[in-house]
Amino acid sequence: MSDKKPSQLRAYFALTYYAFKASVRNKSTLFFSLIFPIVFIIALGLIGNSQISINLGIPQNEAQNPVTPVLENISTVKIEKGTPSFLLEQLNKGKLDAVVDVSKQDAGYAVEVTSSNANPNTSAAALSILKGVVDQTNLKLSQVTNPPIKLVEKEVEGRKNRYVDFVLPGQIGFSLLSTALFGTVFGFIALRRLLVFKRMFVTPVKPGIILLSQATSRLIMALIQTTIILSVGVIFFQFYLPHGFITFLEILVISSLGLVSFLGFGFFLSGLASDENSAGPLVNLVSLPQMLLSGVFFSADLLPFWIQPVANNLPLSYFNQSVRIVTIEGGTLVDAAPYLFGFLAWGAVMYLLSIKTFKWE
Amino acid sequence: MTKNENIIEVLDLVKKYKDFTAVNGISFSVKKGEIFGILGPNGAGKTTTLEIIETLNKPTSGDVYVDGFSVLSDPWEVKRRIGVQLQSTGFYPELTLVDLLNMFAAVYDVKIDPMKVLKQVNLEDKANTFVNKLSGGQKQRFAVVSTLINKPKVLFLDEPSTGLDPHARAELWDVIKQINKEGTSIVLTSHYIEEAETLCDRVAIMNSGKIIKIDTPKKLIEELLKTGFKREVVRKEATLEDVFLNLTGKGLTPNE
Repeated sequence: MSDKKPSQLRAYFALTYYAFKASVRNKSTLFFSLIFPIVFIIALGLIGNSQISINLGIPQNEAQNPVTPVLENISTVKIEKGTPSFLLEQLNKGKLDAVVDVSKQDAGYAVEVTSSNANPNTSAAALSILKGVVDQTNLKLSQVTNPPIKLVEKEVEGRKNRYVDFVLPGQIGFSLLSTALFGTVFGFIALRRLLVFKRMFVTPVKPGIILLSQATSRLIMALIQTTIILSVGVIFFQFYLPHGFITFLEILVISSLGLVSFLGFGFFLSGLASDENSAGPLVNLVSLPQMLLSGVFFSADLLPFWIQPVANNLPLSYFNQSVRIVTIEGGTLVDAAPYLFGFLAWGAVMYLLSIKTFKWE
Repeated sequence: MTKNENIIEVLDLVKKYKDFTAVNGISFSVKKGEIFGILGPNGAGKTTTLEIIETLNKPTSGDVYVDGFSVLSDPWEVKRRIGVQLQSTGFYPELTLVDLLNMFAAVYDVKIDPMKVLKQVNLEDKANTFVNKLSGGQKQRFAVVSTLINKPKVLFLDEPSTGLDPHARAELWDVIKQINKEGTSIVLTSHYIEEAETLCDRVAIMNSGKIIKIDTPKKLIEELLKTGFKREVVRKEATLEDVFLNLTGKGLTPNE
């Protein structure tokens, strides 16, 4: 036995390092923490890149007319030709937004539009495009070159908000929640069952150091997750960081706070669950509602009115919102502070509850 | 306080759970340099006693001194001086043997050469293997050697040879004897009587939370024979198992 008192600091660094090493070697941890979010980002990033387009059906034997060529020249309009019955069928299936049939009538033309209520938004867009084209063509044919009302279009130099800009912060949040929940609950159950904690308790390391090293190794994992998700977003999908590196650092800070707060849930549930079987439902009970309600894949604004007060106050909602403030809105950590406090408060409650439930054996 | 020649002093130890007394006022001491065995049937209180000495469990009353330090007032000094091998492994499944040894070295804040440590128990070629990939005997040898990193004054082995085949058991016994020869006191529990007879300098026999007898295996057997005890088929006059059964009236069963 050595004479000096063992250093808790050296124990802390070593336990953190080896806990991290073990988690990297654990295939399911690695999959859920790193592979899963990357696959999601790539899949969702690709969805976000497709442009809105209006699909119009035009009968193939349509007579020559001045309207169709104009429609064909609009970049957002896709035209499909076919027999009237085929087009109608496509319209019913929702694959076309409207069917346009231009026929000669008397001295002019009649534009007959058939739309469906399968996609109300796009068929409304189709109608307004058609109205514009018809009006324009009418003016031209009536040789009005100087109409009394002119539409002057001005575009403000704004940034296009794409789906990836919305969805990426949600992916960071959800992957951190997964690390904190799945990683901690299942991890701790395994360490308890294998007596890893008990084995450490007969050594001179303090229990607080064991817990702190477990938390730190997950924090390191969280920072790596955030960095990887952001890198994939920036490199492949031009994810927008308004202040560049500063924004990146701000997201890392939010991620650290988020992980610490989500760990509260992990510690709490790992104490409630006695084994892997009871842990599964508990973890899903916490993570699934947040995956759906917290704006991970779609905005909580799309949810029914009555559920919004719940959805907006979930810890993951606060987290996602705070990241979006520094990314989409280009704000600072101070701007995001109310949301930071929101999820930190959740975390604090969970840590208090864990004091009651936590167990080493 | 402890006398100089004793590494462990157990003083009137009691451990009560709600309506159950696991340890009922036991006192004994373990001498420096000896191998001390605690034998007893399931539920006799062996593991509870061991856990209190190891600082894993708190006594209801009484105290234990390890190398002069009380488990109640100086548990951290006690932890530095002991090595504990648990009944099942207690290791991260994702770390190699070298990783695990380095981790424990850092926890005790000592410098080690992992390969040298592994060589003590013939596991050098398993240095980069995971514990789960070891055989039962290799696992136990690793578990034992992993407790030696802090050069403990006393080593606790809880049923070390459970589940081992005779060959692996003999190898483990050699390791234990070697460690003892180098000056480490050893306390072990066992349900395997031959183990106690082969390894232990003295044994304590526990039943229902009390210690019924403490003596050398040889003396315990002699004492029993004096009472006129005869084995039904007399090939060997008596074994320690006879002593045990005679004293506790119960059979030894594994898995305690």
